[in-house]
Amino acid sequence: MRRVLAAMAACLFLAACTTTSTQLAVKDGPKPAAGARIILIQPDVHLAVLTASGLQDPRADWSQQGKDNLTAEMSSSLQARAHQFRMINPEGAMEGRTGQLLRLNEAVTKSIPYGYIPTKKGSFDWTIGDGAQALGSAYDADYALFVTARGSYASGGRVVAMIGFAALGVSVPLGNQYAMASLVDLRTGRIVWYNTALAGPNADMRQPQGAKSLVAAMLKDAPL
Amino acid sequence: MRTLILAAVASLVLCAPAQAQRLAGVRPDVASDEGGLWAVSDKTEGSARQSAELDRDPALNAYVRDVACKVARDHCADIRVYVMDRPFFNATMAPNGYTEVWSGTLLRAADEAQLAFVLGHEVSHFDRNHSLLSWRRKKSTSNAMMVLSAGVAVVGVAAASSATTYDGASSILDATRSLIDVVYLTGMASLFAYGRENESEADRLGLDRAAHAGYAPSAGTELWRAQMGETQASDFKRVRTSGTRTNIFASHPLDAERIAALQENLKSLPNTGETGRARHRAAIRPHLATWLRDDLRRRDFGQTLHLIGRLAADGEDLGVLNFYRGEAHRQRRGEGDLTSARDAYLAAAAYPDAPVAVWRELGDLRRKASDAAGAKAAYETYLAKASTAEDAWIVQDSLNSLTSGK
Repeated sequence: MRRVLAAMAACLFLAACTTTSTQLAVKDGPKPAAGARIILIQPDVHLAVLTASGLQDPRADWSQQGKDNLTAEMSSSLQARAHQFRMINPEGAMEGRTGQLLRLNEAVTKSIPYGYIPTKKGSFDWTIGDGAQALGSAYDADYALFVTARGSYASGGRVVAMIGFAALGVSVPLGNQYAMASLVDLRTGRIVWYNTALAGPNADMRQPQGAKSLVAAMLKDAPL
Repeated sequence: MRTLILAAVASLVLCAPAQAQRLAGVRPDVASDEGGLWAVSDKTEGSARQSAELDRDPALNAYVRDVACKVARDHCADIRVYVMDRPFFNATMAPNGYTEVWSGTLLRAADEAQLAFVLGHEVSHFDRNHSLLSWRRKKSTSNAMMVLSAGVAVVGVAAASSATTYDGASSILDATRSLIDVVYLTGMASLFAYGRENESEADRLGLDRAAHAGYAPSAGTELWRAQMGETQASDFKRVRTSGTRTNIFASHPLDAERIAALQENLKSLPNTGETGRARHRAAIRPHLATWLRDDLRRRDFGQTLHLIGRLAADGEDLGVLNFYRGEAHRQRRGEGDLTSARDAYLAAAAYPDAPVAVWRELGDLRRKASDAAGAKAAYETYLAKASTAEDAWIVQDSLNSLTSGK
């Protein structure tokens, strides 16, 4: 019994902090110059409830809260830095060439965490191509910062299932939430910085305070 | 045993509320499960709007939209129809009222009444909240399956641990494992059965909607009969037999069952109403060539030829239709296909709507058959009709080599 309690405590302890994994195109490479113009694409957020049997039941209200909180937190934490930031609503930019670039970026950043492209092993040289210049000239910007957040929260039934199955020796995962950020150089299309932050219990993006700590973790090593 | 498990799954699945009709113009609460589904559908709809497969022809869209509104009645403002250039017989309805009609469906509907039946079917899915109810059913069924499997596992492990021999324990565990599989399969089968019930209901209500909008109610059975004919005409045995076999995991009822059910419904409907054949043909005419070319990419030439046969039944558009009949034979390269291709191209050439490519293909076929004079005549006609075509220089080159006798 004591051993079980100790293990549970360790689990809780491990889960208590938000973990991040940063990747830079060039270590200690040049950072965006002071005064660089950066567009911030409004975060793309999708949150869901994890049902007892593990289905993801989408929650539009949570997604909206998460998006609002992340947007507000990103704006205020970046205001203090040496660059000019401007928020762009992607809804209005999905037409034509800029829309294609936004979708291309989504496809490219989605591929990064899986590491299933053999030529990308051991190096971080992702790019959306120099076509990204079209985005730069459309919005008069040097860089674009993208944020995507996904996650699920365990329902009461899922927690009960976790406890029940633990007694049978089967582990049942209880949802997780993460935010991914990428900074794209709009002259070359290179993804110069990429980070994923896995949220701990104190970084619930549905709350302003949680979004604050998630954004802090996400931007921890940003070259901004 | 199966019945017992089925009963157990059913008793654990929360009873779905009666399939109420939707009110027009109402968006669900954002915090509800329905609100969640709508938000996901909104996103999917956004990408459909940007899709390269979206057919943007305003006249075609106005036509489909008009038919959709006639059958949707007070839901007209709730649904948005997107015509997708995809060569398959399909139409979809998302929970938020975003609906796709694929070009393969427009090509296969013989008239406006058949299109109205398809759209009526999709609107009925929306009106009766079928996607929401299926999602809820899926959630409760999968929870029930989990609880039952856990119960079976606990009992099995307890029994195995009290067994006195290794063989006894291991056969109890084997039985437990297969019982868990049965629980899973029974749960899945009940979900698919629920899907089939929804499809049958949408067929019945869709026919009702089309009939009330003034369309001939025989359209539903005619459309499914044509589909069965096309299935039988397939080049592939697997496809030909797919329509006659059923299993408990089918998401849609068999075509034959759908026809029987629709015929039953016909009895309660007035056998009048218009078909709108000419209007439908006029709307799809500008797209016939593109859609038939897309259909050839499925590489089931038997089905394409069956489809062309139906389209040609009234003696319209015979230049285009015979050209693609020739293309299907030429690409299939089966026994006697080259002769059939030549005959079809020749037939096409007699009509004013024949594509110019008819003469290029005729030239190639005659050249292969060592009919130099015939090939020359065909190539010359092609160049006279399409002097600025991208491949004119290739045809010119073929003509030159015929003339110089090389």
